[in-house]
Amino acid sequence: MTRTRRRLIQFAALAALLSLWEAAFRLGLLSPIIFGSPSLIVRAVTQDGWTFAHAFRITVFEIAKAVLIAWTAGILFGAVAASLPALARVSAPILSALIAVPLVVLYPVLIAWLGLGPSSKVVFGVVSGIFPIALNTMIGVQGIDRGYAQMAAAMGANPRQIMFQVMAPLALPAIVSGLRLGTALIVIGVVLSEMLGSTDGIGFWISYHRALFNTGQVYLGILLALLVAGLANAALSLVERFYVRQAANLSVP
Amino acid sequence: MPSGVQMTAEDIARETIVVDGVGKTYGGGTHALTALTDVSFTVREGEFATLVGPSGCGKSTLLQILAGLVPASSGLVAIDGRMVTGPSPDKIGVMFQDAWLLPWKTAAENVEFPLVLRKVKPAERRKRALPLLELVGLASFADRYPDELSGGMRQRVAIARCLVQEPRVLLMDEPFAALDEQTRTRMGNELLQIWEKSGGTVVFVTHGLTEAIYLADTVFVMGTRPGRIIERIAVPLSRPRSIDMIGSESFGRLRNHIWHLIAEVRT
Repeated sequence: MTRTRRRLIQFAALAALLSLWEAAFRLGLLSPIIFGSPSLIVRAVTQDGWTFAHAFRITVFEIAKAVLIAWTAGILFGAVAASLPALARVSAPILSALIAVPLVVLYPVLIAWLGLGPSSKVVFGVVSGIFPIALNTMIGVQGIDRGYAQMAAAMGANPRQIMFQVMAPLALPAIVSGLRLGTALIVIGVVLSEMLGSTDGIGFWISYHRALFNTGQVYLGILLALLVAGLANAALSLVERFYVRQAANLSVP
Repeated sequence: MPSGVQMTAEDIARETIVVDGVGKTYGGGTHALTALTDVSFTVREGEFATLVGPSGCGKSTLLQILAGLVPASSGLVAIDGRMVTGPSPDKIGVMFQDAWLLPWKTAAENVEFPLVLRKVKPAERRKRALPLLELVGLASFADRYPDELSGGMRQRVAIARCLVQEPRVLLMDEPFAALDEQTRTRMGNELLQIWEKSGGTVVFVTHGLTEAIYLADTVFVMGTRPGRIIERIAVPLSRPRSIDMIGSESFGRLRNHIWHLIAEVRT
């Protein structure tokens, strides 16, 4: 099956699903307060489109900042911990435990420290996503057979060359899987923290309109949150492809 | 050369590889583990030497010390008249049981990698790598990735990579041990041909007695607990070697002799 044909079928299926939803709503089979409808979402766009556009921008920026901080700090910590056995032994169980802890209990404290503005969301996003990134990087680097480093040393590689031209590309698959998990958790963390206590952002407007039973607006917010998640995933794939190509071309000075 | 005798500067300069009173101890105090003790031998220019011994005799450790990858606890190692204090890739090529090819690089790029580390220009790198791939019979596999190559082919790439910096000494740590017997024998023959062409000095670690005798001018037999050299044997076979020699009476006698040496120290 060609790519365009597959796309066409996917769109047709989506259109059919939306029509079915709208029809069920019009026939009174679905409660408008619980299920909304495509037409209610369209009306929400005409009523509150600009508010949501602004909220979308805020949420995207919060996520972008959290991603930048969590990726950098997580990979750095993981790589350093992997090369210091004592630190790795201590931090591995702590990192695993922190991934399992419901970090959302921290959020009220973060609000008290940082207020309701974007910074508490960024920090909560970082806290949500950094641990799997650090842990995966650490495990990835530790999992590389020492033979590679020994071989490179025998060929005259200095520690920096061993790190960037041998170890980093070898650890890349593990690091990327950590980034996938961490980035998803950051998106969840930021939107969730907006819902719990804030003054703007997609999460905030979802919970605001939920309270007022504006189901169309709630669904619009949900769609935008999905879009944010999709964007984050696309950005990750882009970075992944870029680095895989980099790794393949590291030999080119 | 008897052990414990101080090497003179003249000795060091004359021999390609000089190992004098080398010991290696891991850990300290009551948990100290002696891997090697008072190992002394010399290998002359162009000689093919094999180190053979039971597992745990420290032959791999000894090779790593020669390669400058692991420091000796005592004694000295000199290669080409200079003390070994760290890796010297321009003089020494090292090969391990696994090729350790970088999986995202093609065969040719792997051969070029030591040159990449020394920032040699891409065109020059390719020019030096391709003849070596041809030498090991992989000219048509230059653009294949390691996971598309067999175990024997991967070790051939590793040989080419070893040779790309034109080292005068090759140190090989059981390079063919993971291969099946037929491939191992063929690789041994190819290695001998390459060695006869390039004329370098080789130290080859193995636990295979047949391989140790077949390849070598000199066999160093090692004993275990602690690791040490128990006998130096000059192999009386002529060159070039052929498979038929393995069946000869003198080969069998030599093999038995080494076998008994190793069996004795084991019990």
